[in-house]
Amino acid sequence: MNDQANENETVLEIRNLKVNFHTYRGEVKALNGVDLKLRTKEVLALVGESGCGKSVTVQTLIGLLPENAFVLEGEMILNGKDLLKNTKEEMRVLRSHTLAIVFQDPMTFLNPVLTIGTQLEEVFTLQKDLLAEATTIEKSKRELKFADFIKRESFETPHKNVKASRREIKKVTKKLCADILSLVKLPDPERILKQYPFELSGGMRQRAMIAMALARRPSIFIADEITTALDVTIQAQILHLLKELRDKIDASTLMITHDLSVAAETADRIAVMYGGNVVEVTFTPDLFKKPLHPYTQMLLNAIPNIAKPTDRLESIPGTVPEMINPPFGCRFHPRCKYAMDVCTKERPKLEEVEKGHEVACYLY
Amino acid sequence: MKSPAISTNDEIKSSDSLIVNNLKVWFPIKSGVIQRTIGYVKAVDGVSFSVKKNETLGVVGESGSGKTTLARAILRLIKPKDGSVYFSGVNVVKANRRQMKMLRRKMQIIFQDPYASLDPRQTVSSLLREAMLIHGITKNKNEATQKSLELLGKVGLDEEHLYRFPHEFSGGQRQRIAVARALVANAEFLILDEPTSFLDVSVQASVLNLLKDLQKEFNLTYLFITHNLAVVHHMSDRVAVMYLGKIVELADKDSIYHDPKHPYTYQLMAAIPLPEPEAKKKEVLLEGDVPSPINIPPGCRFHPRCKYATEKCRKEEPSLVERDGHLVACHSEVDFSAKKKTGESANE
Amino acid sequence: MKRFFKGRSGELAARWADLRFALYLMRRNPLVLVGSALSIFFIVLALVANLIVDPALADQFKFAQSYGWNNPLFSWGPGTASLGGKEVFYLGTDGYGRDLLKMIILAIPLDIGLAFFITLSAAAFGITIGALAGYAGGVIDEAVLRITDIFFAFPGLLLALVFAAVFGRTITNLAFAVLLVWWPTYVRLMRGQVLAEKEKTYVEALKALGAGHFRTLFRHIIPNSIYPILVQMTLDLGGVILTFSALMFLGFSPSPALPELGNLASDGIAHVFTAPWLIFFPGLTILIIALAFNLLGDGLRDVLDPRLRR
Repeated sequence: MNDQANENETVLEIRNLKVNFHTYRGEVKALNGVDLKLRTKEVLALVGESGCGKSVTVQTLIGLLPENAFVLEGEMILNGKDLLKNTKEEMRVLRSHTLAIVFQDPMTFLNPVLTIGTQLEEVFTLQKDLLAEATTIEKSKRELKFADFIKRESFETPHKNVKASRREIKKVTKKLCADILSLVKLPDPERILKQYPFELSGGMRQRAMIAMALARRPSIFIADEITTALDVTIQAQILHLLKELRDKIDASTLMITHDLSVAAETADRIAVMYGGNVVEVTFTPDLFKKPLHPYTQMLLNAIPNIAKPTDRLESIPGTVPEMINPPFGCRFHPRCKYAMDVCTKERPKLEEVEKGHEVACYLY
Repeated sequence: MKSPAISTNDEIKSSDSLIVNNLKVWFPIKSGVIQRTIGYVKAVDGVSFSVKKNETLGVVGESGSGKTTLARAILRLIKPKDGSVYFSGVNVVKANRRQMKMLRRKMQIIFQDPYASLDPRQTVSSLLREAMLIHGITKNKNEATQKSLELLGKVGLDEEHLYRFPHEFSGGQRQRIAVARALVANAEFLILDEPTSFLDVSVQASVLNLLKDLQKEFNLTYLFITHNLAVVHHMSDRVAVMYLGKIVELADKDSIYHDPKHPYTYQLMAAIPLPEPEAKKKEVLLEGDVPSPINIPPGCRFHPRCKYATEKCRKEEPSLVERDGHLVACHSEVDFSAKKKTGESANE
Repeated sequence: MKRFFKGRSGELAARWADLRFALYLMRRNPLVLVGSALSIFFIVLALVANLIVDPALADQFKFAQSYGWNNPLFSWGPGTASLGGKEVFYLGTDGYGRDLLKMIILAIPLDIGLAFFITLSAAAFGITIGALAGYAGGVIDEAVLRITDIFFAFPGLLLALVFAAVFGRTITNLAFAVLLVWWPTYVRLMRGQVLAEKEKTYVEALKALGAGHFRTLFRHIIPNSIYPILVQMTLDLGGVILTFSALMFLGFSPSPALPELGNLASDGIAHVFTAPWLIFFPGLTILIIALAFNLLGDGLRDVLDPRLRR
């Protein structure tokens, strides 16, 4: 776990993001002022139950909100630019090489009629600089490995100056594809390149998707519930893979999950979301040792823990707030045993209470 | 509560609620114009165990293990190819119509997907009444409404929920409705097929609490099927681990977790993510993918992925025998407790 | 009556709320509103037609007027008055000197009645057989499929011809012929729906509960599978009218003076340049009716789309 995260810069900052949806039954106030900071080279887990707004946050981030959604206010600053002010085309470009996302169900995400190889090649085709550099390396008979490119920010030879035939580029692309598949520990990459998604198992497909995401050499890698649909042993493999890749790639990872245990294993910091807000953010060990927000505390008590078995699990009274008429003030107050008068009036802001530990609660 | 060995003949103990003996569920693979059977998918291939009255037996396994098929075969929702299932003195597999009626009352199942297990066009009141009608409980409308309200109260729902449609409820509430329906006719045995995997953590907690309460109140026996090892540890008394259609280990819940004897069980337990970030992580990794029951390896089914496989494992299938209070199916008697103490990895 | 409602009032209230939502969805689309309004209009018209217009008028052949039929001195087009100025023919007269508007009105109960009869019978028949085939599977399913295949192979027109030739040229026989060609579609449709529906978890739950086949099929599977059938039915209402009118137009009509939209139109074929209103108005009516039901069907389809509703 990287404890130096504090020193690093912030790659992505989300400030007071508010997003609403128009529906038949009324306005769904999905995001109610989300504050989030993602630092370089860290793994930040975004944890929350259904309805908390983590998927909406991701959708806003990559610019793929549905038609009936609109952003009320807020900013999403990536490398100095506000993503919310980008045009669709600009977002598309960003998605092709800065923001890479892997989703939960690779079967619906991979094109079932194209081979893995074809889809992987597509990703590379968009990166002309990379290909140019690769052909140069190939020509000079040095060994070509994708891993070398991951950390590069700019290339020595800009692509305009390199003259390479189509055949050479194809050859190089194929080599890169095979190499990246072995990077994600897929056995027999040459054969997999020729296979279709349905011929692979769930775990293998997920690895292929991770490979496709990596091929973009992203600065932000988003993993949206990528292990939720996998068996526990396969999940362990994928999480282990992510840990290994972490040292090799330069990107920051935003890991969305509803499983706190998965977050415990992989993340440097954890952000807990509830009712469209981030209610607590801190380093992973601190969250479990000393959860500050009442929701986090109750959530931790609700998880069955093999190491600490109990007879009854603590369940959180009440239900997840309905977002059309959410509770006033702090959205958790109807279910909170410490609720005070001020909690019903105004939403608490996320503030740093201890070093690196932020909470949105009037208790502090 | 250590379990004794299971005898492989149809012995019925009075303390047992359910006895499964050598149950096999094979799905034929047909091919060709005339649809000849060219092979079988052996989803459940010789499973024997018993469930004591009032206990919760957990069944864990990954996809392809056959646990879901097992659940359905026990209730005869799928016809088994071979074997017997004894409940209340009747062999479910061979029961006649009258017996099935009784069995359907006493044995119930809660399904995994709360969004699909209720008819979307039926209100809660209607579906509870229907259950009463099917089991011949009462035809009087007032009595029926009374009983419905009673049941709803037991599962934590209100009168106002009686006339709502399933889509107006959350996942957790729908599961509660399913439980209420199962209890309409005083069921004794409940199969819970992944009842909380589609639910949020906090909702899961309340549903699990409810299940435990109801078990005490109504003296129910549970067969709890799940892939979530933390949940099964919380709910069960004993746990059976399934792999490719067979039980590979069966023991009480603590022994299974802290003293596994089968290599697969060991790997499974090691793969569970814990909400303990400081816990020392063993670098154990089960290589390869979860296999499919179409191509079952010869000999021990686990041998292609097992680090302790020997020649014998490749040829001969191990049977479930007792070892130190566990039932294990393994030729190599690996002592994992030593490895756990020293914190060594299982990679040798 | 009161006792009947007492135990069910909550149930009814719930279903009523559901219906209101469905109506809301339909109200949103203006085309659907138009279609629904028109459909209701025509149905009502069909019911009262024989009250507004004296059916005996169909048998009145005013020779004097028909004599001046193609005579350019007299024009019997729309808006003209009769000899003696007693009536105004808003849409003109037909070849027998009858008021076209009145004939059209008289034709509507026949056409709409036929449309409903054929559609409902085909649907009823198709639903039962299709559901049974889909649910039972195996030999029954195969048998039903082969039979529907045979019926699909029949060209509708030829069948009608055969029927007319063998059994006589009556409305009932023609209706029968159309019905025979129409029902296999419903069988296929229902079978497909039932096949999909019976795999769903709640069906398995019913089986685990001890519900018998009959209850499961008729009280659960069929009501849940019926939505596409309803949509198809509304679309078919227009289709049947078109088919029937086409048959009449082609000369299968039992009697040349029968007030039926297609029949009325067929009279005008010979006079399309001199008396275009003869073909135009009956044809236009057919178009409007078919369109009305089609739009209604579209609206229904949007409303009943499970993804939108639930």
